[in-house]
Amino acid sequence: MKNLLILLIIFTLGNVTYGIQASSKDQCYNCHAELGGEPAELFKNDIHRKIGLSCSNCHGGNSSSDDMEASMDKKKGFIGVPKGNEITDVCIKCHASEEKMAAFGFKIPTNQFELLKTSVHGGLSTNGKDRIVQCINCHGAHGIVKVTNRRSPVYPLNIPKTCSKCHSSSVFMRNYNPGLAIDQYDKYRTSVHGILNAKGDPKPAECASCHGSHGIKSTKDLNSSVYPVNLPSTCAKCHSDKKYMAKYKIPTDQFEKYSQSVHGIALLKKKDLGAPACNSCHGNHAATPPGISSISKVCGTCHALNAELFASSPHKKAFDEKHYPECETCHSNHLIITTTDKLLGTSKDAVCSKCHTQEKLPKGYEAAKDMRNMIDSLKTAQQFASKLIDEAEQKGMEVEDEKFHLRDAHQAVLEARTAVHSFNRKKFDDIVVKKGLSVTTEVIRDARASIDDYYFRRKGLGVALIVTILLAIGLYLFIKRYEKDQENNS
Amino acid sequence: MEENRSSLEQTSRRGFLKYLLTGGLIGFAASIFYPLFSYLKPPKQTEVEVSSVLAGKITDFELDKGKIIKFGSKPVILIRLKDKTFRAFDATCTHLACTVQFRSDLGVIWCACHNGKYDLNGRNISGPPPRPLTELNVIQKGNEIYISKNA
Amino acid sequence: MKNLLQKFYKWVDERVEVNGLVEYMGKKYVPVHRNSIWYYFGGVSLFLFIIQVVTGILLLFYYKGSSDLAFESVKFIMSKVQFGWLVRSIHAWSANLFILSAFIHMFSVYFEKSYRYPREMTWVTGFIMFLLALFFGFSGYLLPWNELSFFATRVGSDIAGAVPVIGPPLKTFIRGGADVTGATLSRLFGFHVALLPGIFTIILGIHLLLIQRQGISEPLHMEKKKEKEKKKMPFFPNFMLRDLLLWLIVLNILAVLAVYFPAELGHKADPFSSAPAGIKPEWYFLFMFQTLKYFPGHVLFIEGEVLGILLFGVAGLLWLLVPFWDRKSARGEHNRFINYLGIFAVMFIIILTILGWVS
Repeated sequence: MKNLLILLIIFTLGNVTYGIQASSKDQCYNCHAELGGEPAELFKNDIHRKIGLSCSNCHGGNSSSDDMEASMDKKKGFIGVPKGNEITDVCIKCHASEEKMAAFGFKIPTNQFELLKTSVHGGLSTNGKDRIVQCINCHGAHGIVKVTNRRSPVYPLNIPKTCSKCHSSSVFMRNYNPGLAIDQYDKYRTSVHGILNAKGDPKPAECASCHGSHGIKSTKDLNSSVYPVNLPSTCAKCHSDKKYMAKYKIPTDQFEKYSQSVHGIALLKKKDLGAPACNSCHGNHAATPPGISSISKVCGTCHALNAELFASSPHKKAFDEKHYPECETCHSNHLIITTTDKLLGTSKDAVCSKCHTQEKLPKGYEAAKDMRNMIDSLKTAQQFASKLIDEAEQKGMEVEDEKFHLRDAHQAVLEARTAVHSFNRKKFDDIVVKKGLSVTTEVIRDARASIDDYYFRRKGLGVALIVTILLAIGLYLFIKRYEKDQENNS
Repeated sequence: MEENRSSLEQTSRRGFLKYLLTGGLIGFAASIFYPLFSYLKPPKQTEVEVSSVLAGKITDFELDKGKIIKFGSKPVILIRLKDKTFRAFDATCTHLACTVQFRSDLGVIWCACHNGKYDLNGRNISGPPPRPLTELNVIQKGNEIYISKNA
Repeated sequence: MKNLLQKFYKWVDERVEVNGLVEYMGKKYVPVHRNSIWYYFGGVSLFLFIIQVVTGILLLFYYKGSSDLAFESVKFIMSKVQFGWLVRSIHAWSANLFILSAFIHMFSVYFEKSYRYPREMTWVTGFIMFLLALFFGFSGYLLPWNELSFFATRVGSDIAGAVPVIGPPLKTFIRGGADVTGATLSRLFGFHVALLPGIFTIILGIHLLLIQRQGISEPLHMEKKKEKEKKKMPFFPNFMLRDLLLWLIVLNILAVLAVYFPAELGHKADPFSSAPAGIKPEWYFLFMFQTLKYFPGHVLFIEGEVLGILLFGVAGLLWLLVPFWDRKSARGEHNRFINYLGIFAVMFIIILTILGWVS
């Protein structure tokens, strides 16, 4: 009797559970869950199931029928397993409609598809029919959870792995862009962002933070968030946000400073792509500020001459010993302003005077003073020569040769400013004095000679005048004599 | 007696006057015709704006070397490549107007001021120069090399 | 030498019969009196005109009349052509001296009343030449295509445009368009080297022919004298030699001016820059320019500037027609009014020129 009761309870419970299951509206799920298989297994935790949607909302068909043929009836809209663009077409049936989203109480964007269409991923795949990327490539198909869910493949901690599924595969990438690098993931893992991300911090940048999620554009596209002109503001999205960056204890004024710098103005205002953006000095995927003793090497990728001179100058050893950040010490890192000659010398504005005074490090003090004086005297001589040439030209003298020659003085001034970085009096001397001042001296001499020529004309005139006056006197006497003869004869 | 003297004086005065007039006229004519003929003689630079310049004889130019030629008041760089052909460009760097040079070791046109580089088509390929160098025509007439502006 | 010349003369005379003409010319006389020194200014003006033609033709060898090369070609002449600076500076100075000499010639003729019968046409052709000379100056001034000349031309043609009725089309005609451009340069160049010289030569020919035919006029007080009492000097060779001497001295003065005060180069005209402060026309236009400035903005219903231009027009017309309305001089009587009018004109021009210069 007791056994029978237990059996009855088990049977009832079994029936009840089965009944509960059987009475769930999603007959598709019921069957497929029993049959097993990944989709149903995953779908158990899917957010779509949690809000009451069934398999048929994506696959079509009749989810209330437990008859296989009736529920998977093509005439009832069953589409089977969607392939290619059909997949995204299914998603956007709801996800591109604001009303549908609102009906479920979600305030999430509905423009993902529009963005995808304009993105690189929205281009044609190698099969010529479908888009390269469908929604499910990143979001998954059956176990879709919210983006904010730790288990979502597009949760910040998981995004690098998700993207690298394709982007680190040379076999896949060479179908589309053989020239595109595939080491971004590896580089990322060496970066400050990547290290923190691996440690479980979702705040630092991952792929989508900089490249975007749905509307990812080629870096060569002017509208891409990582196009050089746009890149600084992309970085600034986090790096200028005090509240966001609070726990990392690094400055948040880099973008502000950079925008006012020579590099910032060149890139952001003049759209000069030759100027560096954040990634040029810090790297992009392997983003890490350069170490103190390598700063001149980084700056030197563009400013090769200055870096070379600096590397062999007495400052290199001195700065590295004192842990001074090489170029940055005098020129700053983000707020690099246009360098003028004022930076050199021993006055208050001069950067040399920060370390070199007459008492402290006097050799450098003397060198700085001399170099500044020499550049100033060269500039003055050049301006004076130019003025003399103008004067001669206005007087109508031929000065093409002098103008040609004076170009060398201009060049010497420019080369001198670079030569400062050798911090070596002799090298500086060679350029400024031997090259520059010798040219200006010659030009000034030649221009003066031209001007003197102009005044020499007066002497030539004097000669001609004397001749003409003699003739005039002769003519006058002739007239007088002629008229006297006339009178005598009449 | 007096008449003789005065007529003698007169004759000598006449002679003096004749010399004065003749001399004066010749001097005057010279001071007119000398400038006139000098003016009409074509000046060294024949045209108002230099449109072409004789760079030299073909034997003056070594292979794989560049030379700066004066073109009016501006410099032009004439390069003879290894294949014996010539290229000519404006030698004023488009960055800050320094004079460029040919670096056969690098195979590029280089500017010493800020390490700007241009390829052998004049295109700015590295460094600060914002624009390419203007190319000029190189014409060989006999064994002479001329550089001329693009007409 | 003399023999050779005589032989040559005989050879020409055998073919062209110049003997009659030479005899006629030999009978030409120039009255000698207190004011006969003024007679020289006609010849000086002629001499300066010839200098202009000669230096102008020389400049034509090197000058280029298009807006992209005009300034450069003048710079070329000044710095690269041998003695180019001399030719250009003489041309510029001679232009000024020519107009000055023409002024003096015109006023001396006016005060002597030489315009009276039978010399009315000589006066009219002379005044026409004077106006042509002013237009020579105006058109030539633009040719170096520098800042000053560009803006002076713009201002000058603006004023021409203010003349009622014919002003606007006149302005467009002078400018070759709505604004001063390379088209203006081409056009004024054509006026300066072809049209004006052509017309001027014809009028000059008539003027000189009339003088040869009618002889040099005597002053009024001399007309009443008896033939024997009139002091005269033969034109050939006396007056002519004196003329030549004066021309030699004028040439010297030109050379000194050209060397000590050479023509300036200035800066190439930039149509998009603003006019330099205190832009003024050349001195011979200055008195008119300054007078216009003194006119109020509006007088009754007419614009001040237009009224000024009209007044000058009327004055010019009266001046042109003076032989016809000065009845007294035609009758051989002294005319004090003409003298006062003349003195007023001279003073007006001088004072306003000075005012225009210092302002």
